[in-house]
Amino acid sequence: MAKPSTENTQVDLSVDLAGLKLANPVMTASGTSGYGPEFAEHADISELGAFVTKAVSPEPRKGNPPERTVETKGGMLNAIGLANVGLERFVSEKVSFWKNRSTPVIVNVVGHSVEDFQTVCSRLDDVECIAGLELNVSCPNVADGLEFGTDPNRLKGLVESVRPLVKRAKLIVKLSPNVTDIAETARGAVDGGADVLSIINTVQGMAINVDTWKPMLANRTGGLSGPAIKPIAVCMVQRVYRAVARDANVPIIGMGGICDWRDAVEFFLAGATAIAVGTALFVDPKIPMKICDDLKTYVANRGLTSIREVIGQLK
Amino acid sequence: MTASQSQTNGAYRTAMVSSHVRLCREHYRLTLQLRDMDHSKPGQFVHISPALLEKEQIGDCRLTTMDYRQPFLRRAFSIADHRQVSDGWECDVLYRVVGTGTRWMEKLGKGDAVSVLGPLGNHFPIDTKKKNAWMVAGGVGLPPMMYLAKSLAKADRDVIGFFGAQSADLLALALDGDDKPDTLAQHAVLADKNFAQSNVAIVVSTDDGSCGFPGHIGSALQAYHQNNPVANDELVVYTCGPEVMMRFVAGFCRERGIDCYVCMERSMACGIGTCQSCVVPIHDQDDEQGWRYQLCCTEGPVFSEKDISWDFPS
Repeated sequence: MAKPSTENTQVDLSVDLAGLKLANPVMTASGTSGYGPEFAEHADISELGAFVTKAVSPEPRKGNPPERTVETKGGMLNAIGLANVGLERFVSEKVSFWKNRSTPVIVNVVGHSVEDFQTVCSRLDDVECIAGLELNVSCPNVADGLEFGTDPNRLKGLVESVRPLVKRAKLIVKLSPNVTDIAETARGAVDGGADVLSIINTVQGMAINVDTWKPMLANRTGGLSGPAIKPIAVCMVQRVYRAVARDANVPIIGMGGICDWRDAVEFFLAGATAIAVGTALFVDPKIPMKICDDLKTYVANRGLTSIREVIGQLK
Repeated sequence: MTASQSQTNGAYRTAMVSSHVRLCREHYRLTLQLRDMDHSKPGQFVHISPALLEKEQIGDCRLTTMDYRQPFLRRAFSIADHRQVSDGWECDVLYRVVGTGTRWMEKLGKGDAVSVLGPLGNHFPIDTKKKNAWMVAGGVGLPPMMYLAKSLAKADRDVIGFFGAQSADLLALALDGDDKPDTLAQHAVLADKNFAQSNVAIVVSTDDGSCGFPGHIGSALQAYHQNNPVANDELVVYTCGPEVMMRFVAGFCRERGIDCYVCMERSMACGIGTCQSCVVPIHDQDDEQGWRYQLCCTEGPVFSEKDISWDFPS
């Protein structure tokens, strides 16, 4: 690699997510860092580009019985079942943590029906400290969650029905990889009015105990995450970037197995404007900060001044 | 008194293996040297993994690369002992080889680097009003009791240890003295040299009768209690081990009004309350269904027996 022509300190990591300015492009992925306070005990939230909360549904959800997670080769399966405190407790107990913080917070939203998504989005759009709402239409753990994310027309309909209610916050749609062609669902989300796309959610998977002949997860199946899915995610980001997002000018948040700067750079080259770290946070919550530091070095070493010069440059 | 709240936040550290010994047929003791883990309490755990983050030289710069190794996620182990040494601190964990994580641990040798997060979780409460403290452990439930025995001895409690295993060669104890565990479980003896240092007499049971009382440790507990009655309000029971055993011990205590604290085991990914894997069902009168989940990592691993909804979900 060439000698650095730029000092690390001069490298600009800021990016723009449909008008939402991030000081750096490294975020947390939903469901891997709690509502904020849990993560803040172990890493400095102010150093993140943005924070994405665990899913919030209209009513509280206890989630699935254990076992809820199992490590597999190259990653892990989870079937947490979207356990969360519900909309009202989220607003009354969890939101205050985010007031007067410089790091934008994005709330992951989940529901059983169009009305559920509308209820949560409409309520949270009124909460000024929430910068974005990420629709979880792709979680493979809840049977009725899968359909919005796998049918382009239903997805378009869902996004259209939520769009008028989200006037202030950025509307982000998190796409499922469990489809034949992710460009089609991406098109549905964009046509429905999504500001940003998150790519990808977990890949549906299963692990079986060979002693008991039972599934390892109580939910039988779960979502695969971690390094094992990174090539799938990179492929899907470049597919959506080239087929839909670039021309529509809709930024992509890339995620799936990112552990270090090299993983992150692949996603930027594939077309992601920002990236999110998920499963790797379970190993070390400070990985996003290490990636930021290393991205500066990478950009400088390439003789560039901004991470934006890397986005979508896959040859 | 309820199980104590988590008081300290774990930190991520690199530790060095300072010794690694086999204690019995399937159990090993791994001793980790840590420069700065200067506090912990019995019941707390450490979350360990291979040191995955490495510095890579790129041109003139050093960047952090995550090497991929199995296990990828951390593994949680109760602290079996934690002590100050000349150049820092040492922490013991005991384990049995059961899967990917412990197969990796089995290969560790002196000087190897290990990533340690901890200490995590809450700890066993030490009730100073109760003179008698009984510790009941089965299988790999023994480690936290090794650490707890020292704290109870310092607090001047009268402590008895009840330790069960499938067979004598699966007992991670040091039974090399003249005193042999009582086969009727009517008397506790100073049969283990490590527990004897804390003046803790023990009752041992094995499923196959190869050492001590023949049967499970719950039956040994009943036999001992019958022969050595202690006022129920002057006794506290601490237990750790297979859930079926803890459920039995909890039931024994509940019937007699004895305070009982259980140290739960759950598989967990993060250890810090974010992944939501390690749920334990807890009674909750405010909940429509009468129960809710708490997290073993941050709200446990020690729970009052009274709080656990033992019947759901099994």
